[in-house]
Amino acid sequence: MSRVLLVEDDPFVREGVQLGLRRRGHDVRAAGTGEDGLAALAEFRPDLLLLDLMLPGMTGVQVCRRIREHSQLPIIMLTARGDDFDVVIGLEAGADDYIVKPARPEVIDARIRAVLRRMDDGATGRPAIEVYGDLTIDRVGLTVSKAGRPLTLAPSELRLLLHLSAAPEQVFSRQQLLENVWEHTFHADGRLVDACVARLRGKIEDEVGHPRYVQTLRGFGYRFGPL
Amino acid sequence: MITVPRPGRPRDGGNEGADGAGPAAPTRRRSRVRAFGLRTRMLAAFLLVAAVSAGTTSALTYREARNALLKTAQDMAVSTFRDQVERTGWRLPVEEEGIEEILRDLARTGKPRPWVVFAEYGSIRASSGENPVSSVITPELRRAATADRYGSFERVVKDGVPYLTIGMPTVFKTGPDSTLPTGLVLYAVMRMTDEQINVDALLIAARNGALPGLAVALVPALLAARSVLRPVRELRRAARSMGSGRLDTRIPVRGRDELADLADTFNESAGQLERSVGELRDAEARARRFASDVSHELRTPLAGMLAVTEVLDEDADRLDADTAQAVRLVSAETGKLAVLVEDLMEISRFDARAAELNSDEIDVAEAIRKTLQARHWADDDRIRTELPPDIRARLDPRRFDVVIANLVGNALRHGGAPVTVLLRTEASSSGTLVLVVEVADRGPGIPAAALPHIFDRFYKADAARTRSPGSGLGLAITLENVNLHDGTIRAGNLPGGGAVFTVEIPLRAEEAGR
Amino acid sequence: MRRGGRRGVARRRTRWRGLATAVVAAVGGPLVGGCGIQDSDVIEAGGPATVEAFLNRDADMLLFFRSPDGGLSPVVREVRPSAGFGDEYIEPGAVARDPSGPAGPAPTEKVVLALLSGPGEADRAAGLTTALPAVREKEAVQVEVASDGGITARLPLAVQDLDATAVRQLTCTIAYNQAKDGRGVVTLRGQDGAQRSGSCGLAPGASG
Repeated sequence: MSRVLLVEDDPFVREGVQLGLRRRGHDVRAAGTGEDGLAALAEFRPDLLLLDLMLPGMTGVQVCRRIREHSQLPIIMLTARGDDFDVVIGLEAGADDYIVKPARPEVIDARIRAVLRRMDDGATGRPAIEVYGDLTIDRVGLTVSKAGRPLTLAPSELRLLLHLSAAPEQVFSRQQLLENVWEHTFHADGRLVDACVARLRGKIEDEVGHPRYVQTLRGFGYRFGPL
Repeated sequence: MITVPRPGRPRDGGNEGADGAGPAAPTRRRSRVRAFGLRTRMLAAFLLVAAVSAGTTSALTYREARNALLKTAQDMAVSTFRDQVERTGWRLPVEEEGIEEILRDLARTGKPRPWVVFAEYGSIRASSGENPVSSVITPELRRAATADRYGSFERVVKDGVPYLTIGMPTVFKTGPDSTLPTGLVLYAVMRMTDEQINVDALLIAARNGALPGLAVALVPALLAARSVLRPVRELRRAARSMGSGRLDTRIPVRGRDELADLADTFNESAGQLERSVGELRDAEARARRFASDVSHELRTPLAGMLAVTEVLDEDADRLDADTAQAVRLVSAETGKLAVLVEDLMEISRFDARAAELNSDEIDVAEAIRKTLQARHWADDDRIRTELPPDIRARLDPRRFDVVIANLVGNALRHGGAPVTVLLRTEASSSGTLVLVVEVADRGPGIPAAALPHIFDRFYKADAARTRSPGSGLGLAITLENVNLHDGTIRAGNLPGGGAVFTVEIPLRAEEAGR
Repeated sequence: MRRGGRRGVARRRTRWRGLATAVVAAVGGPLVGGCGIQDSDVIEAGGPATVEAFLNRDADMLLFFRSPDGGLSPVVREVRPSAGFGDEYIEPGAVARDPSGPAGPAPTEKVVLALLSGPGEADRAAGLTTALPAVREKEAVQVEVASDGGITARLPLAVQDLDATAVRQLTCTIAYNQAKDGRGVVTLRGQDGAQRSGSCGLAPGASG
């Protein structure tokens, strides 16, 4: 169904996850190091990257940054709970989501589908192109440009922007955003939202310190506008 | 005064701090009000010595001064009286007529102050005052004056008033070398009020002299008390400091006296204690690290195993019965092992104080509903909820989910339906608003003997019971999670039967971050 | 345990109270207790006072009467002028009779007669009395002075029956009229032939 590139150093885990996902219909390619993973990207052209953070040599975070330099490839991090610091760094580096190991294949599969689905169902009965200030959002073409210059947004960033701008000035709590944008359960980590908002602001706002488009309402959450 | 060498090591958690601060306060209060403490006793001893010496000196001085003063006054009075009397002339026999005038003249010239003069001659009794005969003059004085023919005086205290009485027999010259007694005896009676005042003044002066002496004695007393008390106080403070967990506390040793020996002994004992406790701590830390390391090491193979359990489950149907059963067993136990390892990891993080609180402002009722939904308990008719809306609290959603899920799961497993989940807010005794979640069941309740241990790790209320579906760490993790929120959890039994777990978490007024 | 401890405290407290009392006694006692002025014994402070008695040895005579306390009190009496009376009694050896000074104008016989006539009005007012019986025969007194200073007086009364005070009255009166210092042994001879002798001994030891 979808092409998944798995970068995991432990051969047993690599094989197990590969086996589990393949059973669920995914086309899985596995790499043991970050370098091998990067090399496989061009040839395998995956729909999604499943990336272990703890890698020998080039770390998962470095791989993540390298990919984000030029690609909007959806990235899900594999992490062990408790390595909270790495989670934050990984999210800031541009990962779209994370999965805590050990995880059953059904959990991984559900997360993969959620990330990929976001890319599909963008427009539903709204005008294709909306303009907010300098920002132009194409809900059909799934592109965003600022002052005519196209922006490269990671899938989670784009999905967040689309969700917020679909209801301008409406406040969404982080837990709501986690449910709606990431399809997490209600109890997921709010830092996922915070990291994504920070990345998004870095791309669309004029002044990151004084955001116009994605605004914070302390104690409640985030909203789009008012401009 | 106490040197507490503090290496960079951060003080170990709140527990020890709280333990130390608690008992220390009443001790300090007690020391303030101690009436017969060492200091008081030493001061008393010094003051006693000073008072006795000052008092004795004062008393002796006072006696001498008083006697000298009285002697001066008396001698002056007697000699003055004799002088005055010798200046008078009498016809013999003495005639009663005119005698009182002479006596009054004599009385006026009295020194150091006027006196009353009495005259006795034959049967004549006269005085310069109102009564011709004095009630103060004693027979002894009269005898000395008439029979022994000596000028003499006597102090008499009558009705609390001291008097000086002087008896003066008179003679006259019959020739250049010879005299004859006239038979006339003159008496002077003088109140010694002023002498009394002088004496009182002396007394006050002596007292005033003694008081500065006492005040001066206070200085060495305080110094001595300080020299003793300071090491004692240091010792006490050091002991308290050690009691509150700072085992590296030492006392500076000064001098070579007994107190220095005591300080030395204290330091040695403290050193030994510190070493022992350090070894214990190291051992405990090693044990914890080992548990943490073990679970870490288990996690990686588990991740792989868990990834293939599905394959096993799906393909089991195609295997022969025994193999299929074995495969399903392995798959199921792998799942439990994953939960156990995950719980062990969580407990290890709490032990290492590495657990973080990622708080978010959430709607508590909604959070509880989502927890029940996620476990497929939302439509379970064994569970009843009472969740008033619009209670918002700043909580770590994941940890709160763990708390609710563990409590409800525990109630379903060990208690009896229906399980009730109650949510409310309450003002605590200290006035802050607290969030209260009660999870109650209608089961047999918790045995009294088990209550104190219900939150212990791997504690089994029923020793004979087989392994429960949980890891045995659920309630321990619940307790840690509640504590991380500065909350409390307690277990109890309902009057009508059934166990109830009550979670109280203080509601924070601060806003949700970012 | 607990009760024992409390009793210990009580005992300690008692001990402290005892100590405090001792302190007060040790310090306060000398300070407070010995203050004030106490009674004293009779203390001698020198001899008697010498007063002026206006005694003129040339014109006065010295008589001794009995005072109420039983002692003798000297009385100074002016000699009344009695023409030619005294001269008759002056004897040729008068100078030798009184070697210590000129004899008073009043002869001793006359003085003794004055004594025998009893206390005067003023004397009685002062409570003075005499122990001598009343005598009428005035001529019967004779005074002789021996060469050794001894004085002999012949009296017109019975000497044997006189009490001690009467004898001292006569002795002192005669002695002090014969000599200023009143020394000298006086021998009294009465009509009854009895004879008593002695000295006055009234002078205070200090000034005598």
